[in-house]
Amino acid sequence: MIHWVLTVAAVLFALGIYGVSTRKNAVGILLSVELMANAVNLNLVGFGMRAGDSAHVFVLFAIALTVAEVVVGLALVVLLYRTRKNVLIDLASELRG
Amino acid sequence: MWASLSPLAADLVLVIGALSLLIVDLVLPHGEKKVLGYGTAGVFIAGLLATFLLDLSGEALGGAYVGDGMALLVKRIVYAGGFIAVLGSLDYGERHWPLRQGEYYQLMLYSVLGMGLLGGVEDLILLAVAFELMGVPLYVMAAFARKDKLAVEGALKLYLTGAVSSAATLYGFSLIFGAAQSTRLQDIAVAASSAPSPILWLGASAALAGMGFKLGVVPFHMWVPDTYRGTSPPFVAFLAVGPKVAGIAAVARLFLHGETALLDGVAPFALLLVWSTIIVGNWMAVPQTSARRLLAYSGVGHMGLVLLGVVAGTHTALAAVMFYGAGYLVTTAGAFLVVSALTDEQGSDELDRFAGLAQKSPFLAFAMLVFLLSLGGIPFVVGFWAKLYLFLGAWGAGFAWSVVLGAMASVVGLFYYLRVARTMYMDEPDAQGISVDMGTQFAIVLCLVFVVGMGVVPQPFVAIAEEAASALLRP
Repeated sequence: MIHWVLTVAAVLFALGIYGVSTRKNAVGILLSVELMANAVNLNLVGFGMRAGDSAHVFVLFAIALTVAEVVVGLALVVLLYRTRKNVLIDLASELRG
Repeated sequence: MWASLSPLAADLVLVIGALSLLIVDLVLPHGEKKVLGYGTAGVFIAGLLATFLLDLSGEALGGAYVGDGMALLVKRIVYAGGFIAVLGSLDYGERHWPLRQGEYYQLMLYSVLGMGLLGGVEDLILLAVAFELMGVPLYVMAAFARKDKLAVEGALKLYLTGAVSSAATLYGFSLIFGAAQSTRLQDIAVAASSAPSPILWLGASAALAGMGFKLGVVPFHMWVPDTYRGTSPPFVAFLAVGPKVAGIAAVARLFLHGETALLDGVAPFALLLVWSTIIVGNWMAVPQTSARRLLAYSGVGHMGLVLLGVVAGTHTALAAVMFYGAGYLVTTAGAFLVVSALTDEQGSDELDRFAGLAQKSPFLAFAMLVFLLSLGGIPFVVGFWAKLYLFLGAWGAGFAWSVVLGAMASVVGLFYYLRVARTMYMDEPDAQGISVDMGTQFAIVLCLVFVVGMGVVPQPFVAIAEEAASALLRP
Protein backbone atom coordinates (compact mmCIF):
# COMPACT_ATOMS: atom_id res chain seq x y z
CA MET A 1 0.00 0.00 0.00
CA ILE A 2 2.67 2.48 1.07
CA HIS A 3 4.58 1.73 -2.10
CA TRP A 4 1.74 3.00 -4.24
CA VAL A 5 1.60 6.23 -2.30
CA LEU A 6 5.36 6.70 -2.65
CA THR A 7 5.19 5.95 -6.36
CA VAL A 8 2.44 8.49 -7.00
CA ALA A 9 4.35 11.06 -4.96
CA ALA A 10 7.56 10.36 -6.89
CA VAL A 11 5.69 10.79 -10.19
CA LEU A 12 4.21 14.08 -8.95
CA PHE A 13 7.65 15.25 -7.88
CA ALA A 14 9.17 14.32 -11.24
CA LEU A 15 6.34 16.15 -13.05
CA GLY A 16 7.09 19.19 -10.92
CA ILE A 17 10.77 19.11 -11.84
CA TYR A 18 9.85 18.68 -15.50
CA GLY A 19 7.53 21.68 -15.28
CA VAL A 20 10.10 23.85 -13.53
CA SER A 21 12.70 23.15 -16.19
CA THR A 22 10.46 23.54 -19.26
CA ARG A 23 7.92 26.24 -18.36
CA LYS A 24 8.61 29.79 -19.54
CA ASN A 25 5.81 31.44 -17.59
CA ALA A 26 6.75 32.31 -14.00
CA VAL A 27 3.25 31.37 -12.80
CA GLY A 28 3.64 28.00 -14.51
CA ILE A 29 6.92 27.47 -12.67
CA LEU A 30 5.20 28.30 -9.39
CA LEU A 31 2.47 25.76 -10.18
CA SER A 32 5.16 23.15 -10.81
CA VAL A 33 6.76 23.97 -7.47
CA GLU A 34 3.33 23.40 -5.90
CA LEU A 35 3.25 19.93 -7.50
CA MET A 36 6.61 19.16 -5.88
CA ALA A 37 5.33 20.41 -2.53
CA ASN A 38 2.25 18.22 -2.85
CA ALA A 39 4.47 15.22 -3.48
CA VAL A 40 6.06 15.97 -0.11
CA ASN A 41 2.66 16.15 1.60
CA LEU A 42 1.50 12.94 -0.02
CA ASN A 43 4.68 11.20 1.12
CA LEU A 44 4.21 12.37 4.68
CA VAL A 45 0.55 11.38 4.84
CA GLY A 46 1.48 7.99 3.38
CA PHE A 47 4.14 7.45 6.04
CA GLY A 48 1.60 8.62 8.60
CA MET A 49 -0.24 5.33 8.12
CA ARG A 50 2.60 3.70 10.05
CA ALA A 51 4.30 6.52 11.94
CA GLY A 52 1.14 8.14 13.26
CA ASP A 53 0.77 11.60 14.69
CA SER A 54 4.22 13.05 14.12
CA ALA A 55 3.69 12.62 10.35
CA HIS A 56 0.45 14.57 10.54
CA VAL A 57 2.14 17.37 12.48
CA PHE A 58 4.93 17.41 9.90
CA VAL A 59 2.46 17.64 7.04
CA LEU A 60 0.73 20.66 8.58
CA PHE A 61 4.06 22.40 8.97
CA ALA A 62 5.03 21.53 5.40
CA ILE A 63 1.78 23.00 4.05
CA ALA A 64 2.24 26.21 6.06
CA LEU A 65 5.83 26.59 4.86
CA THR A 66 4.84 26.11 1.23
CA VAL A 67 2.02 28.64 1.52
CA ALA A 68 4.34 31.27 3.05
CA GLU A 69 6.79 30.72 0.23
CA VAL A 70 4.26 30.85 -2.60
CA VAL A 71 2.75 34.10 -1.28
CA VAL A 72 6.14 35.78 -1.59
CA GLY A 73 6.61 34.19 -5.01
CA LEU A 74 3.35 35.56 -6.39
CA ALA A 75 4.25 39.03 -5.08
CA LEU A 76 7.57 38.78 -6.90
CA VAL A 77 5.80 37.74 -10.11
CA VAL A 78 3.56 40.83 -9.83
CA LEU A 79 6.70 42.92 -9.38
CA LEU A 80 8.28 41.31 -12.44
CA TYR A 81 5.17 42.12 -14.45
CA ARG A 82 5.36 45.77 -13.37
CA THR A 83 8.98 46.15 -14.45
CA ARG A 84 8.80 44.13 -17.69
CA LYS A 85 5.12 43.89 -18.71
CA ASN A 86 5.44 40.12 -19.00
CA VAL A 87 6.15 37.22 -16.69
CA LEU A 88 8.18 35.07 -19.04
CA ILE A 89 11.41 33.78 -17.60
CA ASP A 90 13.63 31.18 -19.19
CA LEU A 91 15.32 29.59 -16.23
CA ALA A 92 17.33 27.17 -18.32
CA SER A 93 19.06 29.83 -20.41
CA GLU A 94 18.96 32.89 -18.13
CA LEU A 95 20.43 31.06 -15.19
CA ARG A 96 23.52 30.02 -17.06
CA GLY A 97 25.56 32.39 -14.90
CA MET B 1 7.54 26.70 30.87
CA TRP B 2 10.00 29.59 31.01
CA ALA B 3 12.77 27.27 32.09
CA SER B 4 12.38 25.30 28.86
CA LEU B 5 12.74 28.50 26.82
CA SER B 6 15.96 29.66 28.49
CA PRO B 7 18.27 28.20 25.76
CA LEU B 8 16.35 30.41 23.33
CA ALA B 9 16.88 33.62 25.33
CA ALA B 10 19.08 35.22 22.65
CA ASP B 11 16.51 34.39 19.97
CA LEU B 12 13.79 35.89 22.14
CA VAL B 13 15.83 39.09 22.38
CA LEU B 14 15.69 39.26 18.57
CA VAL B 15 11.95 38.51 18.47
CA ILE B 16 11.12 41.12 21.11
CA GLY B 17 13.43 43.63 19.42
CA ALA B 18 11.82 43.02 16.02
CA LEU B 19 8.29 43.40 17.38
CA SER B 20 9.18 46.58 19.28
CA LEU B 21 10.72 48.07 16.14
CA LEU B 22 7.53 47.18 14.27
CA ILE B 23 5.54 49.34 16.67
CA VAL B 24 8.13 52.13 16.72
CA ASP B 25 7.99 52.15 12.91
CA LEU B 26 4.25 52.92 13.09
CA VAL B 27 4.65 56.06 15.21
CA LEU B 28 7.88 57.42 13.69
CA PRO B 29 7.28 60.36 11.35
CA HIS B 30 8.58 60.17 7.77
CA GLY B 31 12.19 61.26 7.51
CA GLU B 32 13.23 59.81 10.83
CA LYS B 33 13.11 56.14 9.87
CA LYS B 34 16.87 55.90 9.96
CA VAL B 35 16.56 55.49 13.73
CA LEU B 36 15.16 52.01 13.05
CA GLY B 37 18.52 51.02 11.59
CA TYR B 38 20.32 52.05 14.76
CA GLY B 39 17.66 50.21 16.75
CA THR B 40 18.24 47.04 14.72
CA ALA B 41 21.99 47.30 15.24
CA GLY B 42 21.25 47.64 18.95
CA VAL B 43 19.06 44.52 18.88
CA PHE B 44 21.88 42.52 17.30
CA ILE B 45 24.29 43.79 19.95
CA ALA B 46 21.77 42.86 22.65
CA GLY B 47 21.46 39.39 21.12
CA LEU B 48 25.24 39.03 21.04
CA LEU B 49 25.49 40.15 24.68
CA ALA B 50 22.83 37.59 25.58
CA THR B 51 24.95 34.81 24.07
CA PHE B 52 27.87 35.88 26.27
CA LEU B 53 26.09 36.79 29.51
CA LEU B 54 23.22 34.29 29.77
CA ASP B 55 23.37 30.55 30.19
CA LEU B 56 21.93 29.21 26.94
CA SER B 57 22.69 25.54 27.51
CA GLY B 58 20.08 22.82 27.75
CA GLU B 59 17.15 21.58 25.69
CA ALA B 60 14.21 23.61 24.54
CA LEU B 61 10.96 23.03 22.65
CA GLY B 62 10.68 19.48 23.95
CA GLY B 63 14.13 18.54 22.75
CA ALA B 64 13.75 19.91 19.22
CA TYR B 65 16.39 22.53 19.94
CA VAL B 66 19.54 22.10 21.98
CA GLY B 67 21.76 24.96 23.15
CA ASP B 68 25.19 23.34 22.75
CA GLY B 69 28.51 24.85 21.66
CA MET B 70 27.57 24.62 17.98
CA ALA B 71 24.33 26.53 18.53
CA LEU B 72 26.14 29.20 20.53
CA LEU B 73 28.90 29.71 17.97
CA VAL B 74 26.50 29.88 15.01
CA LYS B 75 24.36 32.43 16.87
CA ARG B 76 27.37 34.63 17.57
CA ILE B 77 28.59 34.42 13.97
CA VAL B 78 25.24 35.22 12.35
CA TYR B 79 24.34 37.98 14.83
CA ALA B 80 27.69 39.61 14.12
CA GLY B 81 26.96 39.19 10.40
CA GLY B 82 23.59 40.85 10.90
CA PHE B 83 25.19 43.73 12.78
CA ILE B 84 27.74 44.30 10.02
CA ALA B 85 25.02 44.15 7.36
CA VAL B 86 22.86 46.70 9.19
CA LEU B 87 25.77 49.12 9.44
CA GLY B 88 26.37 48.72 5.70
CA SER B 89 22.69 49.37 4.85
CA LEU B 90 22.10 52.42 7.08
CA ASP B 91 23.03 55.06 4.55
CA TYR B 92 21.96 53.08 1.47
CA GLY B 93 18.53 52.36 2.88
CA GLU B 94 18.01 56.00 3.86
CA ARG B 95 18.68 57.07 0.28
CA HIS B 96 16.99 54.29 -1.71
CA TRP B 97 13.97 53.21 0.33
CA PRO B 98 13.57 55.89 3.02
CA LEU B 99 10.01 54.98 3.99
CA ARG B 100 10.44 51.22 3.92
CA GLN B 101 13.56 50.98 6.07
CA GLY B 102 11.54 49.54 8.95
CA GLU B 103 10.34 46.62 6.83
CA TYR B 104 13.84 45.95 5.55
CA TYR B 105 15.29 45.68 9.06
CA GLN B 106 12.32 43.62 10.25
CA LEU B 107 12.96 41.08 7.54
CA MET B 108 16.67 41.07 8.33
CA LEU B 109 15.95 40.33 11.99
CA TYR B 110 13.61 37.44 11.14
CA SER B 111 16.11 35.98 8.69
CA VAL B 112 18.90 36.14 11.28
CA LEU B 113 16.52 34.59 13.81
CA GLY B 114 16.13 31.60 11.49
CA MET B 115 19.90 31.37 10.98
CA GLY B 116 20.49 31.46 14.73
CA LEU B 117 18.07 28.57 15.25
CA LEU B 118 19.74 26.44 12.57
CA GLY B 119 22.87 26.03 14.70
CA GLY B 120 21.00 24.06 17.36
CA VAL B 121 18.24 22.14 15.58
CA GLU B 122 17.67 18.58 16.72
CA ASP B 123 14.46 17.91 14.86
CA LEU B 124 13.56 17.67 11.16
CA ILE B 125 10.47 19.84 11.52
CA LEU B 126 12.33 22.65 13.29
CA LEU B 127 15.11 22.32 10.72
CA ALA B 128 12.61 22.83 7.89
CA VAL B 129 10.92 25.76 9.65
CA ALA B 130 14.20 27.50 10.56
CA PHE B 131 15.51 27.02 7.01
CA GLU B 132 12.41 28.72 5.59
CA LEU B 133 12.49 31.44 8.24
CA MET B 134 15.99 32.20 7.07
CA GLY B 135 15.13 32.01 3.37
CA VAL B 136 11.74 33.67 2.82
CA PRO B 137 12.74 37.14 4.15
CA LEU B 138 15.76 37.03 1.84
CA TYR B 139 13.50 36.79 -1.23
CA VAL B 140 11.64 39.93 -0.17
CA MET B 141 14.81 41.83 0.75
CA ALA B 142 16.36 40.95 -2.61
CA ALA B 143 13.44 42.64 -4.39
CA PHE B 144 13.52 45.76 -2.23
CA ALA B 145 14.71 47.98 -5.08
CA ARG B 146 11.39 47.29 -6.75
CA LYS B 147 11.79 49.66 -9.72
CA ASP B 148 15.15 48.18 -10.67
CA LYS B 149 14.74 45.56 -13.39
CA LEU B 150 17.99 43.74 -12.59
CA ALA B 151 17.15 43.57 -8.89
CA VAL B 152 13.68 42.13 -9.50
CA GLU B 153 15.06 39.53 -11.90
CA GLY B 154 17.82 38.67 -9.45
CA ALA B 155 15.25 38.33 -6.68
CA LEU B 156 13.02 36.11 -8.81
CA LYS B 157 15.93 33.85 -9.66
CA LEU B 158 16.83 33.63 -5.99
CA TYR B 159 13.20 32.86 -5.24
CA LEU B 160 12.57 30.26 -7.94
CA THR B 161 15.74 28.30 -7.25
CA GLY B 162 15.08 28.70 -3.53
CA ALA B 163 11.51 27.42 -3.82
CA VAL B 164 12.56 24.44 -5.93
CA SER B 165 15.36 23.66 -3.50
CA SER B 166 12.99 23.93 -0.52
CA ALA B 167 10.64 21.48 -2.21
CA ALA B 168 13.55 19.11 -2.86
CA THR B 169 14.77 19.46 0.73
CA LEU B 170 11.31 18.78 2.13
CA TYR B 171 10.90 15.79 -0.22
CA GLY B 172 14.18 14.48 1.14
CA PHE B 173 13.05 15.12 4.70
CA SER B 174 9.79 13.27 4.10
CA LEU B 175 11.66 10.20 2.82
CA ILE B 176 14.16 10.35 5.69
CA PHE B 177 11.28 10.61 8.11
CA GLY B 178 9.49 7.68 6.50
CA ALA B 179 12.56 5.48 6.64
CA ALA B 180 13.59 6.42 10.19
CA GLN B 181 10.02 6.72 11.57
CA SER B 182 11.14 9.71 13.65
CA THR B 183 11.79 13.40 13.24
CA ARG B 184 14.62 13.47 15.79
CA LEU B 185 18.05 13.84 14.19
CA GLN B 186 19.49 11.51 16.85
CA ASP B 187 17.04 8.72 15.93
CA ILE B 188 17.67 9.32 12.23
CA ALA B 189 21.42 8.94 12.73
CA VAL B 190 20.84 5.68 14.60
CA ALA B 191 18.50 4.41 11.89
CA ALA B 192 21.11 5.26 9.25
CA SER B 193 23.53 2.79 10.80
CA SER B 194 21.16 0.14 12.18
CA ALA B 195 18.56 -0.02 9.43
CA PRO B 196 19.84 1.63 6.27
CA SER B 197 17.46 1.51 3.32
CA PRO B 198 17.41 2.85 -0.24
CA ILE B 199 14.61 5.23 0.73
CA LEU B 200 16.78 6.74 3.46
CA TRP B 201 19.70 7.31 1.09
CA LEU B 202 17.41 8.74 -1.59
CA GLY B 203 15.98 11.11 0.99
CA ALA B 204 19.41 12.09 2.27
CA SER B 205 20.59 12.80 -1.30
CA ALA B 206 17.53 14.95 -2.05
CA ALA B 207 18.00 16.85 1.21
CA LEU B 208 21.69 17.39 0.50
CA ALA B 209 20.94 18.61 -3.03
CA GLY B 210 18.22 20.94 -1.76
CA MET B 211 20.38 22.41 0.97
CA GLY B 212 23.28 22.61 -1.49
CA PHE B 213 21.11 24.90 -3.64
CA LYS B 214 20.96 27.41 -0.80
CA LEU B 215 24.69 27.18 -0.21
CA GLY B 216 25.42 27.65 -3.90
CA VAL B 217 27.06 24.28 -4.42
CA VAL B 218 27.73 23.28 -8.05
CA PRO B 219 25.63 22.24 -10.04
CA PHE B 220 23.05 24.27 -8.09
CA HIS B 221 25.01 27.53 -8.11
CA MET B 222 23.51 29.24 -11.18
CA TRP B 223 21.51 31.78 -9.21
CA VAL B 224 24.51 33.02 -7.20
CA PRO B 225 26.26 35.35 -9.69
CA ASP B 226 23.05 36.78 -11.16
CA THR B 227 21.50 37.48 -7.79
CA TYR B 228 24.69 39.00 -6.39
CA ARG B 229 25.04 41.15 -9.50
CA GLY B 230 21.43 42.30 -9.67
CA THR B 231 20.33 43.00 -6.11
CA SER B 232 21.32 46.01 -4.01
CA PRO B 233 24.99 45.92 -2.93
CA PRO B 234 24.62 46.14 0.89
CA PHE B 235 22.07 43.33 0.77
CA VAL B 236 24.63 41.10 -0.92
CA ALA B 237 26.96 41.65 2.05
CA PHE B 238 24.15 40.06 4.09
CA LEU B 239 23.07 37.34 1.65
CA ALA B 240 26.60 36.15 0.89
CA VAL B 241 27.64 35.32 4.46
CA GLY B 242 25.08 34.58 7.19
CA PRO B 243 22.92 32.12 5.25
CA LYS B 244 26.02 30.19 4.12
CA VAL B 245 27.38 29.78 7.65
CA ALA B 246 23.98 28.83 9.06
CA GLY B 247 23.32 26.51 6.11
CA ILE B 248 26.59 24.66 6.51
CA ALA B 249 25.91 24.29 10.25
CA ALA B 250 22.50 22.82 9.43
CA VAL B 251 24.06 20.39 6.94
CA ALA B 252 26.60 19.37 9.58
CA ARG B 253 23.87 18.82 12.19
CA LEU B 254 21.74 16.72 9.87
CA PHE B 255 24.50 14.64 8.31
CA LEU B 256 27.10 14.33 11.08
CA HIS B 257 25.45 13.22 14.25
CA GLY B 258 27.58 11.43 16.78
CA GLU B 259 29.21 8.12 16.04
CA THR B 260 26.56 7.08 13.57
CA ALA B 261 25.92 9.39 10.70
CA LEU B 262 23.58 9.93 7.82
CA LEU B 263 26.60 11.03 5.80
CA ASP B 264 28.01 7.54 5.18
CA GLY B 265 25.50 6.56 2.51
CA VAL B 266 25.70 9.82 0.58
CA ALA B 267 29.45 10.40 0.93
CA PRO B 268 30.27 9.63 -2.75
CA PHE B 269 27.54 12.00 -3.93
CA ALA B 270 28.70 14.68 -1.47
CA LEU B 271 32.31 14.28 -2.57
CA LEU B 272 31.22 14.70 -6.20
CA LEU B 273 29.52 17.97 -5.22
CA VAL B 274 32.69 19.08 -3.40
CA TRP B 275 34.95 18.42 -6.39
CA SER B 276 32.67 20.05 -8.95
CA THR B 277 32.12 23.05 -6.67
CA ILE B 278 35.82 23.68 -6.08
CA ILE B 279 36.65 23.31 -9.77
CA VAL B 280 33.74 25.23 -11.32
CA GLY B 281 33.73 28.03 -8.71
CA ASN B 282 37.38 28.88 -9.18
CA TRP B 283 37.39 28.23 -12.92
CA MET B 284 34.43 30.50 -13.62
CA ALA B 285 35.78 33.29 -11.39
CA VAL B 286 38.82 33.83 -13.63
CA PRO B 287 37.15 35.51 -16.67
CA GLN B 288 34.67 37.65 -14.68
CA THR B 289 34.82 41.41 -15.19
CA SER B 290 32.26 42.38 -12.53
CA ALA B 291 33.53 42.48 -8.96
CA ARG B 292 30.34 41.04 -7.52
CA ARG B 293 30.23 38.17 -10.02
CA LEU B 294 33.89 37.46 -9.32
CA LEU B 295 33.28 37.35 -5.58
CA ALA B 296 30.15 35.26 -6.21
CA TYR B 297 32.07 32.56 -8.08
CA SER B 298 34.97 32.68 -5.66
CA GLY B 299 32.41 32.29 -2.86
CA VAL B 300 31.07 29.19 -4.61
CA GLY B 301 34.63 27.83 -4.61
CA HIS B 302 34.95 28.53 -0.89
CA MET B 303 31.69 26.68 -0.22
CA GLY B 304 33.26 23.67 -1.92
CA LEU B 305 36.13 23.74 0.58
CA VAL B 306 33.74 24.15 3.52
CA LEU B 307 31.64 21.23 2.32
CA LEU B 308 34.84 19.18 2.01
CA GLY B 309 35.35 19.72 5.73
CA VAL B 310 31.86 18.43 6.46
CA VAL B 311 32.32 15.42 4.18
CA ALA B 312 35.61 14.61 5.92
CA GLY B 313 33.44 14.19 8.99
CA THR B 314 36.04 14.19 11.76
CA HIS B 315 36.14 16.40 14.81
CA THR B 316 39.18 18.34 13.56
CA ALA B 317 37.62 18.89 10.15
CA LEU B 318 34.32 20.08 11.60
CA ALA B 319 36.15 22.50 13.92
CA ALA B 320 38.01 23.78 10.86
CA VAL B 321 34.69 24.23 9.06
CA MET B 322 33.33 26.39 11.89
CA PHE B 323 36.53 28.44 11.98
CA TYR B 324 36.40 28.78 8.20
CA GLY B 325 32.78 29.91 8.46
CA ALA B 326 33.63 32.67 10.92
CA GLY B 327 36.62 33.81 8.86
CA TYR B 328 34.63 33.62 5.62
CA LEU B 329 31.91 35.78 7.17
CA VAL B 330 34.13 38.70 8.17
CA THR B 331 36.23 38.52 5.00
CA THR B 332 33.41 38.25 2.49
CA ALA B 333 31.15 40.74 4.26
CA GLY B 334 34.05 43.22 4.27
CA ALA B 335 34.85 42.65 0.60
CA PHE B 336 31.23 43.09 -0.44
CA LEU B 337 30.97 46.27 1.64
CA VAL B 338 33.97 47.75 -0.18
CA VAL B 339 32.41 46.78 -3.51
CA SER B 340 29.12 48.23 -2.27
CA ALA B 341 30.72 51.59 -1.42
CA LEU B 342 32.42 51.67 -4.80
CA THR B 343 29.34 50.60 -6.77
CA ASP B 344 27.16 53.10 -4.99
CA GLU B 345 29.52 55.94 -5.88
CA GLN B 346 30.23 54.99 -9.49
CA GLY B 347 27.11 53.13 -10.55
CA SER B 348 29.01 50.07 -11.71
CA ASP B 349 31.06 47.30 -10.18
CA GLU B 350 33.14 46.50 -13.26
CA LEU B 351 36.72 45.68 -12.31
CA ASP B 352 38.13 48.60 -14.30
CA ARG B 353 36.30 50.85 -11.83
CA PHE B 354 38.85 49.69 -9.27
CA ALA B 355 41.64 51.32 -11.28
CA GLY B 356 43.78 53.53 -9.07
CA LEU B 357 41.55 53.04 -6.04
CA ALA B 358 44.70 53.26 -3.91
CA GLN B 359 45.02 56.93 -4.85
CA LYS B 360 41.31 57.77 -4.75
CA SER B 361 40.65 56.14 -1.40
CA PRO B 362 43.67 54.55 0.31
CA PHE B 363 41.41 53.20 3.07
CA LEU B 364 39.09 51.28 0.73
CA ALA B 365 42.01 49.99 -1.32
CA PHE B 366 43.88 48.77 1.75
CA ALA B 367 40.78 47.12 3.21
CA MET B 368 40.02 45.41 -0.11
CA LEU B 369 43.65 44.24 -0.35
CA VAL B 370 43.48 42.64 3.10
CA PHE B 371 40.15 40.94 2.28
CA LEU B 372 41.50 39.67 -1.04
CA LEU B 373 44.63 38.32 0.64
CA SER B 374 42.44 36.60 3.22
CA LEU B 375 40.23 35.06 0.51
CA GLY B 376 43.38 33.95 -1.28
CA GLY B 377 44.84 32.41 1.88
CA ILE B 378 47.97 34.49 2.54
CA PRO B 379 49.57 34.22 6.03
CA PHE B 380 48.76 36.70 8.83
CA VAL B 381 45.15 37.06 7.78
CA VAL B 382 42.37 34.70 8.77
CA GLY B 383 41.98 33.04 5.36
CA PHE B 384 45.38 31.37 5.67
CA TRP B 385 44.63 29.62 8.97
CA ALA B 386 41.14 28.73 7.83
CA LYS B 387 42.48 27.00 4.72
CA LEU B 388 45.37 25.40 6.62
CA TYR B 389 43.16 23.91 9.35
CA LEU B 390 40.64 22.74 6.80
CA PHE B 391 43.28 21.04 4.66
CA LEU B 392 44.88 19.45 7.75
CA GLY B 393 41.49 18.20 8.90
CA ALA B 394 40.56 16.76 5.51
CA TRP B 395 44.05 15.26 5.06
CA GLY B 396 43.79 13.59 8.46
CA ALA B 397 40.48 12.06 7.45
CA GLY B 398 42.07 10.55 4.32
CA PHE B 399 40.89 12.99 1.67
CA ALA B 400 44.38 13.64 0.31
CA TRP B 401 43.34 14.08 -3.33
CA SER B 402 40.63 16.56 -2.43
CA VAL B 403 43.19 18.54 -0.43
CA VAL B 404 45.52 18.61 -3.44
CA LEU B 405 42.64 19.80 -5.60
CA GLY B 406 41.72 22.45 -3.03
CA ALA B 407 45.31 23.67 -2.82
CA MET B 408 45.51 23.91 -6.61
CA ALA B 409 42.23 25.82 -6.69
CA SER B 410 43.66 28.21 -4.07
CA VAL B 411 46.55 29.01 -6.40
CA VAL B 412 44.07 29.78 -9.18
CA GLY B 413 42.19 31.91 -6.65
CA LEU B 414 45.30 33.92 -5.85
CA PHE B 415 45.59 34.71 -9.54
CA TYR B 416 42.22 36.41 -9.85
CA TYR B 417 42.33 38.03 -6.42
CA LEU B 418 45.72 39.57 -7.10
CA ARG B 419 44.51 40.77 -10.49
CA VAL B 420 42.01 42.98 -8.65
CA ALA B 421 44.77 44.12 -6.25
CA ARG B 422 46.99 45.03 -9.19
CA THR B 423 44.20 47.09 -10.78
CA MET B 424 43.75 48.97 -7.51
CA TYR B 425 47.42 49.74 -6.94
CA MET B 426 49.07 49.86 -10.37
CA ASP B 427 46.53 51.36 -12.75
CA GLU B 428 45.92 55.08 -13.19
CA PRO B 429 42.76 56.44 -11.57
CA ASP B 430 40.13 58.58 -13.24
CA ALA B 431 39.33 61.88 -11.61
CA GLN B 432 36.48 60.89 -9.30
CA GLY B 433 37.06 60.75 -5.57
CA ILE B 434 35.20 58.32 -3.33
CA SER B 435 33.30 59.15 -0.17
CA VAL B 436 32.14 56.39 2.15
CA ASP B 437 29.41 56.84 4.73
CA MET B 438 30.24 56.36 8.41
CA GLY B 439 28.22 53.17 8.90
CA THR B 440 29.89 51.33 6.04
CA GLN B 441 33.28 52.62 7.12
CA PHE B 442 32.77 51.38 10.65
CA ALA B 443 31.57 47.98 9.38
CA ILE B 444 34.62 47.65 7.12
CA VAL B 445 36.94 48.54 10.00
CA LEU B 446 35.19 45.94 12.17
CA CYS B 447 35.70 43.29 9.48
CA LEU B 448 39.35 44.35 9.11
CA VAL B 449 39.95 44.02 12.86
CA PHE B 450 38.58 40.49 12.88
CA VAL B 451 40.30 39.40 9.67
CA VAL B 452 43.68 40.55 10.97
CA GLY B 453 42.98 39.62 14.60
CA MET B 454 41.94 36.06 13.76
CA GLY B 455 44.94 35.88 11.45
CA VAL B 456 47.51 36.95 14.03
CA VAL B 457 46.10 35.14 17.08
CA PRO B 458 43.95 32.30 15.77
CA GLN B 459 44.24 30.04 18.85
CA PRO B 460 41.33 31.39 20.95
CA PHE B 461 39.00 31.29 17.95
CA VAL B 462 40.12 27.77 17.05
CA ALA B 463 39.45 26.71 20.64
CA ILE B 464 35.87 28.02 20.37
CA ALA B 465 35.41 26.24 17.03
CA GLU B 466 36.70 22.99 18.53
CA GLU B 467 34.28 23.28 21.39
CA ALA B 468 31.47 23.81 18.90
CA ALA B 469 32.51 20.72 16.93
CA SER B 470 32.50 18.68 20.15
CA ALA B 471 28.74 19.19 20.25
CA LEU B 472 28.35 16.78 17.34
CA LEU B 473 31.49 14.64 17.20
CA ARG B 474 33.90 13.27 19.77
CA PRO B 475 37.44 14.70 19.48
